[in-house]
Amino acid sequence: MLTILSMFYYICLRRRSRSGTRGEALTSRRAVESGQRAVLPVSVEVEQYAKEVLDFSSHYGSENSMSYTMWNLAGVPNVYPSSGDFTQTAVFRSYGRWWEQCASAPQAFRRTPKGFYSQDYIELGFEEPVYPTAVEVLETYYPGAIVQILACSHNPFSQNPPTDVRWEVLWAGDPTKVLTPQARQFSPNIKHISFPTNLLRLEVNSSLLDYYTELDAVILRGVKERPMLALYKMPIIDISDLSDSEEELSDVGGHLRADGKHHRTGNGYFDKLPYELIQLILSHLTLPDLCHLAQTCKLLHQHCCDPLQYTQLSLQPYWARLSDASLGHLQSRCTLLQRLNLSWTGSRGALTLSGFSGFMKACGLSLVCLELSCCHFLNEACLEVISQTCPVLQELNLSSCDRLHPQAFIHISKLSRLRRLVLYRTKIEQTAILSILTFCVELRHLNLGSCVRIEDYDVVASMLAARCRLLCSLDLWRCRNLTDRGLAELVSGCRMLEELDLGWCPTLQSSTGCFQHLARSLPRLQKLFLTANRTVCDSDIEELAANCPSLQHLDILGTRLVSAASLKKLLQSCPQIRLLDVSFCSQVDTRVVQELSGLFPNVAIKKSFTQ
Amino acid sequence: MLSVLSYGRLVARAVIGGLSQTDSRDYSLVTASCGFGKDFRKGIRKKGMCYGDDACFIARHRSADVLGVADGVGGWRDYGVDPSQFSGTLMKTCERLVKEGRFVPSSPVGVLTTSYYELLQNKVPLLGSSTACIVILDRQSHRLHTANLGDSGFLVVREGEVVHRSDEQQHYFNTPFQLSIAPPGAEGAVLSDSPDAADSSTFDVQLGDIILTATDGLFDNMPDYMILQELKKLKNTNYESIQQTARSIAEQAHVLAYDPNYMSPFAQFACDNGLNVRGGKPDDITVLLSIVAEYTD
Repeated sequence: MLTILSMFYYICLRRRSRSGTRGEALTSRRAVESGQRAVLPVSVEVEQYAKEVLDFSSHYGSENSMSYTMWNLAGVPNVYPSSGDFTQTAVFRSYGRWWEQCASAPQAFRRTPKGFYSQDYIELGFEEPVYPTAVEVLETYYPGAIVQILACSHNPFSQNPPTDVRWEVLWAGDPTKVLTPQARQFSPNIKHISFPTNLLRLEVNSSLLDYYTELDAVILRGVKERPMLALYKMPIIDISDLSDSEEELSDVGGHLRADGKHHRTGNGYFDKLPYELIQLILSHLTLPDLCHLAQTCKLLHQHCCDPLQYTQLSLQPYWARLSDASLGHLQSRCTLLQRLNLSWTGSRGALTLSGFSGFMKACGLSLVCLELSCCHFLNEACLEVISQTCPVLQELNLSSCDRLHPQAFIHISKLSRLRRLVLYRTKIEQTAILSILTFCVELRHLNLGSCVRIEDYDVVASMLAARCRLLCSLDLWRCRNLTDRGLAELVSGCRMLEELDLGWCPTLQSSTGCFQHLARSLPRLQKLFLTANRTVCDSDIEELAANCPSLQHLDILGTRLVSAASLKKLLQSCPQIRLLDVSFCSQVDTRVVQELSGLFPNVAIKKSFTQ
Repeated sequence: MLSVLSYGRLVARAVIGGLSQTDSRDYSLVTASCGFGKDFRKGIRKKGMCYGDDACFIARHRSADVLGVADGVGGWRDYGVDPSQFSGTLMKTCERLVKEGRFVPSSPVGVLTTSYYELLQNKVPLLGSSTACIVILDRQSHRLHTANLGDSGFLVVREGEVVHRSDEQQHYFNTPFQLSIAPPGAEGAVLSDSPDAADSSTFDVQLGDIILTATDGLFDNMPDYMILQELKKLKNTNYESIQQTARSIAEQAHVLAYDPNYMSPFAQFACDNGLNVRGGKPDDITVLLSIVAEYTD
């Protein structure tokens, strides 16, 4: 018994010591290996600030300025870690829901995928292509707007034309709102991608924020050599990633499965459903799902290719993958198309004149609304095609198409049924806009914000008053030379005006009485922006209070002449007011804002600060 | 025989050396700043590059070195406006323009114009006015481009003598040309000169040239010969000696400004115009002292 026990004990001890020595051997082997590995060069992490801002959808500042413009996002941070509303940051044109609530806002498109929140974007080029390990965005004011970060395989600084451009989503999230407007460094966990990149794209959504978000710099961290897969977790294959495949939009030629030869002809109980019901069910699917469904069986193929499913088509969420081929495949289904959104698509050669014109020729006949914001593939020929193929077009959005030649805009005057025209940040010139206003007399909504090539806005205002009497909203943000004469003519002629944006128009002087005249002439006024017009005074506010009971949004940023008393009168007389921006109004300090907010809790009173 | 050959070689080398005047090295400015604000109560504290209502900046870009001074007009204080805000923001904006390369080295007036336009793009309603003097050294062409609006200015000293100086721009006594942003309604009452009204000049500089850029606080209290005397003490081109000399000039001017019996250039000018005054002129003093040296990274 004792011998068995001692043998057992001996064996256990031996085993333990042996594993110990084995462990030692292992560690020594590991040491040898690591010693060898230490000789190999370690992958150095490169940290870069953006070299150049390549493209963006909007900004607050003026063209050719460095205040509140998107070009501030390149280079080293100027403000961070301070917080506040500073000129050296990149600021987008809008925030919150205020612009969505206006009459000039476009209707939302159906079938918008749930994960797509982006409202604005900015593309940044960096010096060296790297495999990204981290992206940090320095937000210095009201952070939380970033909803997507994407990386591109194309090097924007190379001389070669772009071929096989791939965009990969590094991170996507919901729009958020941080509790305090303080600066923060936003560094989400990004996906690791298989190609080096020096072109990043940030997409933002500021709809939950209380004021303009401001960005200071973007840092891209990455490694030059392709990292070992073993060092990183394998990416989790997400079902939604399946939609990242490039095939589903182009591969919708609708070939049937081999089962076509199957003897079973019915689809079971599905056949018993009325046609309209299946159509109703399908109307809830997003476009890629619809295209996938078309490949399942003959019945569903017929349903999914029914033009009635394609009366509204928004291709903006799929901007990264849209090509001439995709448009070609969708062409046959879009004969009843009424509303088309191609915003943000077609960059870097993805869409060309031939693809676009083919699509428009097939589908333009009943087109009523065409959104072409930031479509850099557009040229004069494209606009000519639009004017020829879309006889009933009522809404046209060419916002930020800043590469369009001024000559191209002449063709818009052929669209005589136009009701909504957005030309924000385009190069349209005087003759073209006057020609458009002469022929497009049905205009209800016109956006000429930051159109710097228009020489004389007084003449434009005069033409509007003469020809477009049904005008409901007018955006003249940063129009440099509108004077009280032009404004007086405008408000005398366009009596139906509900929205008027005269922000940063320096040549309007309150002493001429133009704002008082405006208030008396526009009883339906709901939105008035007099941002940074330093001459707005108490009498103007009192006239607004007396004459504009429907007023909802008012921005009088930066005037020293408005007192708390007249604001109180305004808020009392205009019960519908929801937005009042009194930032940098020296007589309206935080105490006044608190007092007014207490008295009028339904009003969002905005007071920006610089520290 | 041999000596003739070697002599000939020496002569040839000298001739060729004399013919090829072009110096392909890049120049740059080594600059130091010093100054004193007028108001004793605030203490002589330096808020960045601001001395009282004066402000200045020093900036570099790939192709040029740029300096600037601005003298905020003190009269705004009576209307509740802080005069240092305008001059300080103007100089900071010029500095930012230069750092981002949004300027042409041969056009310092362009720097002023763009900077003034940017001030109007600020959400904050700036008020005030100031003079301005911008000096740009184009590194490759060795040319100094200057623009001066108002009574600040610069001197270029070569081998102990003033070879270039700026002219004062005055509308009338003690009212220099000035860039300004007026409150609405007061545009008629407030003097506002366009940046185009600035005097510009361009000239070549050589290695070792000393450029002194300063506000009128210096020139009104120290005549040229005193400045030149101080500059004689500058032996090397390193930053520390320049800083020391700049400091001594500024200090001397500061002391003289409060000397009631000293016949300052300001008092001299007043006497020439019929005003019987004596003594220095208490004012904010800003001095930027630069030496043209070879460009090193």
